[in-house]
Amino acid sequence: MPATEVTSDTLYVYGIVPDGIRPPRTAGVAGAPVRLLSGAGLRAAVSDAPAHVRARRRDLMAHQEVLRELAAQGPVLPMRFGALSPDADTLRARLRADAAHLGAQLDGVRDCLEMNVKGTVVPGYFATLVRRDDRLRTLARRTRHRPDYEANVRLGEALARGVRREARRAAQEVLARLTPGTVRTAPGPTDDEQVLNASFLLRTADEERFRQAVAEQAAGYGDRLALSVTGPLPCYSFVAPRPAADGR
Amino acid sequence: MITYDDEVVCAPRAGTLYDVLELILDRGMVIDVFARVSLVGIEILKVDARIVVASVDTYLRFAEACNRLDLEHDTRTKTVPELFGGPLAKTVGKAGAKRATRSLTDKVRDILSPEEHEHAHEQEYENEGRDGPEPDRPRHRPSAERGLRHRRDDDRPRARRRANPEE
Repeated sequence: MPATEVTSDTLYVYGIVPDGIRPPRTAGVAGAPVRLLSGAGLRAAVSDAPAHVRARRRDLMAHQEVLRELAAQGPVLPMRFGALSPDADTLRARLRADAAHLGAQLDGVRDCLEMNVKGTVVPGYFATLVRRDDRLRTLARRTRHRPDYEANVRLGEALARGVRREARRAAQEVLARLTPGTVRTAPGPTDDEQVLNASFLLRTADEERFRQAVAEQAAGYGDRLALSVTGPLPCYSFVAPRPAADGR
Repeated sequence: MITYDDEVVCAPRAGTLYDVLELILDRGMVIDVFARVSLVGIEILKVDARIVVASVDTYLRFAEACNRLDLEHDTRTKTVPELFGGPLAKTVGKAGAKRATRSLTDKVRDILSPEEHEHAHEQEYENEGRDGPEPDRPRHRPSAERGLRHRRDDDRPRARRRANPEE
């Protein structure tokens, strides 16, 4: 990305909505009022960019809140945090040039919302594993009778690996059970601790049903995998990041 | 309790801003002619958090916890909170209230090891201290690292909470 040079013309861009949407009342990044800029049957939610935009908590929340308020009125294409247009003309030109693509994207998320589900390893499950697994119990016994640093590391690693493996297995099953009935899913990055990370695009009407489904999975797998559910969110994960390359 | 999250582990936790940081920062539309603010600091944070998880330190905490299991008798009679000494469970309410005022800075700090990364997390989350109650406040991420550390810090003296027939 190019280095940011903010001038008095620079606009912070929150997202793109269809014509007919009202500007949000929520203050934007750095407390600036948010307005809508029209072009080609679309509107872009913008505010004057502050001299320095940084990913601070307050500003991340402002970005999110503005989008949330817009989403309450209709479909929104959320921008990634921190998008700056050099000026209003550049933005209008972009709306015109990408109008077809943006319109199609808006149709794709109309009456939909995003829910994000994460699952993390429950370390306490190691006790169940030791109880169940003879090999682990033997290792634990041996370590207790001959405690030394190496043995403890080996035992701990086996336990850490065990709870992770069980959590990963649970994550696969939870994902398979949550997917039916949703419009689309988008996987997110996982690591050794956060083993489930997926976004779901749902029909707005299905939100309660989805929450219920997550609650059922939490009840079934909660000893191995701690679930969290975040949403409704603007459909960050279900918009094509950029229009298809066509030489522009 | 091992971690704060174990208490509610059978009901999904309601996510916070922190839980969807990656969506706000890495997804959503990008328009080529637009500039984008630098987020270098945040990328460093993600890498650091990942490295800490699979550390020898974590293994040793698992081993320590395991060494307190009753291996010779029916361990089903012991619950996980008891294995970890219990008192933390009582402090959860208070800790939860305190947590309500914690900032994202603290949250991010939590997932880093306390010693090695003091410098890294200051970069982008600066000066975002106590904004007062937020609708979307950060909470603890369930974590082997953090959870086991909790136990160690908070209730080590309670190790011999119930009579152990083995000893």
